[in-house]
Amino acid sequence: MHPVFHQTDQLKGRRMAKNPSEAQQYGNLVPTARLSDGKPRTILFNATKCIGCRHCVQACKDWNDHDRTSLYSLSSTNWITMEPPVLEGLSPLWARNSCMHCEFAACAAVCPVEAITKYEEGPVVINQEVCIGCEYCIHACPWEVITKNDITQKASKCTMCSDRISEDKQPFCVQACPTEALDFGLTVEMSEKARTQAKAVGGYTYGEKEAGGGNVIYVLKENKETYGLRNISEQKFPKHKIPLGLMLKDLFTPRCGIKGKLRALYLAIIHPKRLIYRYFS
Amino acid sequence: MNLFPAQRTSPLPGGYVGKILRVDLTTGSMRDENLPEEPILKKFIGGQSLALYILLKELPLDATPLGPESRIVIMTGPITGNGFTPGGTKVTAVFLSPLTGSTLGRGATSGYWGTYLKAAGYDGMILTGVAPEPVYLYINQGKAELRDAAKFWGLGTRATEDRLREAVGKQDAKIMCIGPAGENLNRAAMLANDYNHFAAHSGGAVFGSKKLKGIVVTGTCRPSVFNKAALVDAGWRWRTTLQQHDVKKKKTKYGHGESWGALNNFNWRSTDLSPAHIQGFDQNDVVLRPCFQCARMCPWDATIGEGAHKGTLLHFNAGGEWLDAFFNLGIKGNAALYLAERINDVGIECSHFSCGAGVAFEAWEKGLLGPDRTNGLRLEWGNIEAADKLLDMAARREGWLGNLLADGPRQLAEALGGDAPNWAVHTKGGTPAMHEWRPMLGQMLRELVASGGMKPQGGGSTKPPPDLRYKETWGPLEADKPDGWAWSHVLSEQYRQFTGIFGGCWFAQMNQKPDGLNSILDSFNAITGWKFTMDDALAAGHRSMILQSIFGTQRGWIADLDWKDVGPRFLEPIPDGKYKGFTIAKWLPDMIYEYYRLSGRHERTGRPFKETLDQLGIEEFTPWSHEASQL
Repeated sequence: MHPVFHQTDQLKGRRMAKNPSEAQQYGNLVPTARLSDGKPRTILFNATKCIGCRHCVQACKDWNDHDRTSLYSLSSTNWITMEPPVLEGLSPLWARNSCMHCEFAACAAVCPVEAITKYEEGPVVINQEVCIGCEYCIHACPWEVITKNDITQKASKCTMCSDRISEDKQPFCVQACPTEALDFGLTVEMSEKARTQAKAVGGYTYGEKEAGGGNVIYVLKENKETYGLRNISEQKFPKHKIPLGLMLKDLFTPRCGIKGKLRALYLAIIHPKRLIYRYFS
Repeated sequence: MNLFPAQRTSPLPGGYVGKILRVDLTTGSMRDENLPEEPILKKFIGGQSLALYILLKELPLDATPLGPESRIVIMTGPITGNGFTPGGTKVTAVFLSPLTGSTLGRGATSGYWGTYLKAAGYDGMILTGVAPEPVYLYINQGKAELRDAAKFWGLGTRATEDRLREAVGKQDAKIMCIGPAGENLNRAAMLANDYNHFAAHSGGAVFGSKKLKGIVVTGTCRPSVFNKAALVDAGWRWRTTLQQHDVKKKKTKYGHGESWGALNNFNWRSTDLSPAHIQGFDQNDVVLRPCFQCARMCPWDATIGEGAHKGTLLHFNAGGEWLDAFFNLGIKGNAALYLAERINDVGIECSHFSCGAGVAFEAWEKGLLGPDRTNGLRLEWGNIEAADKLLDMAARREGWLGNLLADGPRQLAEALGGDAPNWAVHTKGGTPAMHEWRPMLGQMLRELVASGGMKPQGGGSTKPPPDLRYKETWGPLEADKPDGWAWSHVLSEQYRQFTGIFGGCWFAQMNQKPDGLNSILDSFNAITGWKFTMDDALAAGHRSMILQSIFGTQRGWIADLDWKDVGPRFLEPIPDGKYKGFTIAKWLPDMIYEYYRLSGRHERTGRPFKETLDQLGIEEFTPWSHEASQL
């Protein structure tokens, strides 16, 4: 059974990684776990092959049983956008906008209830049953790809199809791509492939270093600005700004529930470094 | 039993959203109908078959195609919009054909519109009456409203799509609309959707007669799926059968006719295929623009890269009839592509225009037509400007010639008089899909027995699909011998039909590959929860074929018209090239007789035998059986 979707209490069931990642050397800021063999995987998005058909966007909805909400903005039922927000085919360049599955996942580091796990195989996943809807992750994410579900009041984003990865299958968006613009495999192989592909078109890779790098890499034929992509520093666990008002509201109002506050308090005591990163980064 | 129950007593199968929207354009009233109960759904399923069953129940026998009592029924199928399969895109409109006045008109289309009709909360719709003023229908998340379309009336399909999307304020709303050809009742006006897609064959004329400019759909609804895991598996199997289109072919190929080496030239008087036909294609910028979740990737956009029309953006689908349409007027290279974009914008089905204009150009060549009746145009072969202007004339019924081109090649040829009727290509007043089919017996039979001016399905294959070899062991058939082609066509019509009524696209049906049909059937079963066997699926396709001929029978069509009411040029021996001298005519009407007999219908009347109706569980149509006509 999939550990994220079938565990009622992630804290109890979490297995610690056998090979502490570099991220953990920062002081175990991020909860980690293993899905299968512990080998990191990467989604490779080759923008030079993308035709903007948005099959990946719809496939994500299909796999995750999301409504056919607008494909043009990220939401709790739309975890990928293909930019620019124009009809399929009507742009010469297309860029993917979704979770980059950071190695140094700021979202996971700021989560006061440790609802977000970085899996060794790559995915950064929000456990819906643990999330209390505090919105810290939404503000901490350098890519701004986390949204809140209006109904459940929980944070939501791409899971990299961690349920499929745990069964040794590729993410559904990758499977759906008709032009092989999306690829998936072991990180060592995908990194090499990305560099080769970028070299072949005289282009660039993107996502390997930004925010310390992650498990999604792009191949671009123009510079990132031409694609409208963000200019993100290479800092690991980047600085973030959680609005003070939000922090005070979460601390001193009934928001997020008593249970959530108690869990946050308990975790703050046992993981003080996370507390420091969350409030003082 | 009421066809649309006030409250359903049977569970709604997976794949359906459960509602049909009924719109009375005369009064502006709209109401939701529940989908028929499960036993009826299981028989007619969706698409052409369910839509036609509804039309048969509702269309008065004395209705005229473009009169106020005419109606149009639009249906998706359970596969439409599921997302896990390729080809889950099909939506079909049925109506009384304005081209023949007696047979079924059908326009089927893909793209996104069908998916989003379901997302808006409807499996289909029934449109009746005539709006007092031009309107468009806006359906957003289960709420439908008619809105004033005065400011969009007169626009081409491209501008209409853009402007309607802008008007409803949703960037990703999906539009089906008509251009000036539909508004002016050109008998072969098309419905255009999602830029690259056309429900061709006269639905646009019916929309125009109802003063309906378009239908905008948007919403978030997703039909339920009975067994998602099984569907993911079957959908992937289906996808692995697909033969994908690629950019290179669009830059180097002559279109569909290249596969057998014959194109239409000079009003079907030459089958020449030469590099000049595609000169400049290699300089175009081509982008594939696939339908909703379909990796076959038929549709494509191009920007012309050279010549007089450099920079023009074009939107096409596979098939390429629109290319042959202009080759047929002696126009080649990127000018043909430019004119293809123009014809899609004004919204005329290309073979209707081309077969009509072909007669006009030939009449000019032979001195039967002069500038007095062409609004001054010189109809010389290859005259791009004349063809361009003629498109507008045909779309708007301008002048003597424009008006007759809007009616069709037969009407134009008769009005020209002299020998002109012999130059026309038509079948029962409609026109065949625009390719040089004459060297191929299966395809010719398909064109002749089709409803007339509606894109036929089937055409047969030299060997049965691998998935049907459990019971079909014939072949390979010989291209120049009639033996076996009738049954091959009957069979192919059945599997093309069942794919369509399931809501699948027959362009994504790779029937000649192993698992090409089984994967579609398994997808259908996984979606609906039904347990159709391949024989059940073929019977569903057969039922749809029979309903089609019952519809024609009720309105005066007989099977004899399939070979008697044909434009002579279509049956002439091929004039040149490697197929010179070949014609299906020497085996007519025998091949047509055989086709009707093998499909359980009488060879002269085309009426189904009572036994056929009983076998297919549609005994209710016994009054229209062949036996009933003998009483």
